[in-house]
Amino acid sequence: MTQTATTFRRMKDLPSTHLLGTGTPMCAGCGGLEALHQIYDVLGEKTVFVNAAGCMTLLSVYPFTPFRGSWLYTAMASAPAGAQGIRDALDILREKKGLPPEEDLEVVVLTGDGAAYGMGLSATSGAMERDLDFIYICYDNEGYGNTGQQYSGATPHAARTATSKGAHGFAGYKKDLFSIWAAHRPTYVATVIGAEPLDLARKIETARDLEGPRLIIALAPCPTGWDYDPRESVAIGKLAVRTGVWPLKEYRDGRIQHTRVPRERVPVEEYLKKQGRFAHLFEPERDETLLQELQAKVDAYWDSVEVQGG
Amino acid sequence: MYRIRFHGRGGQGMKTASRILGSAFFEAGYEVQDAPRYGAERRGAPIFAYVRAAREPINERGIIQRPDLVIVADDTLVAVPAAGVLAGVSARSVLLINSRDAAEVWRHRLNIDGPIVTLPVNTGVEDRAELPWIGASCAGAAARLVGVLPRQALVHAIETELGGLGDDVVGHNLENALAAWELMAPQYGLASEGGEPRAQEYQRPDWADLAFETARISAPTIYAAANSVEVRTGLWRTLRPVIDYSRCNRCWWVCSTFCPDGAISVDKDGQPRIDYDHCKGCMVCVAQCPPHAIAAVPEHQAQAEEAQPADIPGDPP
Repeated sequence: MTQTATTFRRMKDLPSTHLLGTGTPMCAGCGGLEALHQIYDVLGEKTVFVNAAGCMTLLSVYPFTPFRGSWLYTAMASAPAGAQGIRDALDILREKKGLPPEEDLEVVVLTGDGAAYGMGLSATSGAMERDLDFIYICYDNEGYGNTGQQYSGATPHAARTATSKGAHGFAGYKKDLFSIWAAHRPTYVATVIGAEPLDLARKIETARDLEGPRLIIALAPCPTGWDYDPRESVAIGKLAVRTGVWPLKEYRDGRIQHTRVPRERVPVEEYLKKQGRFAHLFEPERDETLLQELQAKVDAYWDSVEVQGG
Repeated sequence: MYRIRFHGRGGQGMKTASRILGSAFFEAGYEVQDAPRYGAERRGAPIFAYVRAAREPINERGIIQRPDLVIVADDTLVAVPAAGVLAGVSARSVLLINSRDAAEVWRHRLNIDGPIVTLPVNTGVEDRAELPWIGASCAGAAARLVGVLPRQALVHAIETELGGLGDDVVGHNLENALAAWELMAPQYGLASEGGEPRAQEYQRPDWADLAFETARISAPTIYAAANSVEVRTGLWRTLRPVIDYSRCNRCWWVCSTFCPDGAISVDKDGQPRIDYDHCKGCMVCVAQCPPHAIAAVPEHQAQAEEAQPADIPGDPP
């Protein structure tokens, strides 16, 4: 695998000024906004965002925007189609109207997990099939957060949501969107999290310097939907990585590589017990069966990674 | 008709308070409307909820312009213009404020003639977005102030509205609602029904008419870059992160990168600076600062200290 030289060798290399405007209506402690402001610093101003309906639709509400460039709002399922239109228009401007290459823009889709894992999946599949030159950012807070955290295709097993309130939480399992995307053999797929900013910056830098479909899933700890004190956002994000619940990895040139392998994984329950959405696993009594099942899932994942030498 | 308006911050349970009060009125045989206002229901942001109750069918709709009773769950909202706590308050409107300060202090501060009642509950809680059970306390106090609701209607409303959350939650809320109910005993019936406004008293809402314009002019296109900074989300904050620069390691890449809002930038000396106009008070920086150099100070205390510079000894009365 080709390794790109990174400008982000240590934490100190991260940007000290931020491009994304403050004053957005995202919740205090929003893990999605944390990832987005870090991503925007690396992608830069020459970007045009295509935003499917979701929490981040509220970023640009007339007459305010935190972006320094254009922003297009689409219906939930159609952001990659919107991106195709903008890419085509830019290509026409370049070919026929003499738009200089330095004035070209990077087209960036921004959607939540509701659109990415569910409604928008077919449009994304089509965009990859057409080898669309774009970046897709999914902020994954594991539910339909803007409408009150109903379950989505990204909701993890046993999490309580507004539509899975039973004693055992959500009965389904989180969809493996990374593998679904990678199976299309696009240019680049990666998982990131705002709580690991150096890993995030390197991956966004890699994506920025490539062409073709480049897709990123950012796990977005959500104080409102996951039910925890906003100050815990980064601590919970770090635990998602250290417990092995959220594997940081990238797909490129047909290969998957893990960028952070937690050698001594923290028990999964350390991650779960910080969040109200999993409180029923501990109160009024411990649900050993479910806790063991959740730990076993994570262990099985990492066992398979070690076998593959990832 | 009773027109009752609740003011709180996201997370304090104002929607629940309005539901409890609405259900209590319904129990007592009233026609009822209760609804929160849809907007930025984010933790710490100003939240509104409304209750109308009458013996006759209610034809009035929308937000309550002329309240008979205003309940303020968090006294730090009074100074926030966007919260509109005093909007439409007349000499007969009752103002109920959850505050550690006395009613006379508020009368002097606000310079209004109408009745003011304070509800001193949970005033020791530092993070005002986390006032425990304050919604139930507000509903309990309001139920006593209107003077037409039996205690049993309040109890049953809480059991109905919160029953799905388990016995513990119902128990805590009942305890707090009934404590507030008892506290308001001397003011029983202080809030009275407002009459029907007459057509000739109708005042046009204060809105701007938009003339028909061509799409080029009227289509909502924003030409400014990053003008969201005009929105002062710092008003959401109930706790303020304060950096002790004598302990700061200048490792700005921690706090500045982790701040979800990008509200911490770095000055030319490599020191992190917090933008209080936009810091929403999530306290991620406080939790992540390696040398623990950032303290969480209650916002009302930080504002009081700003208003009284430490180098001026004493405060003239």
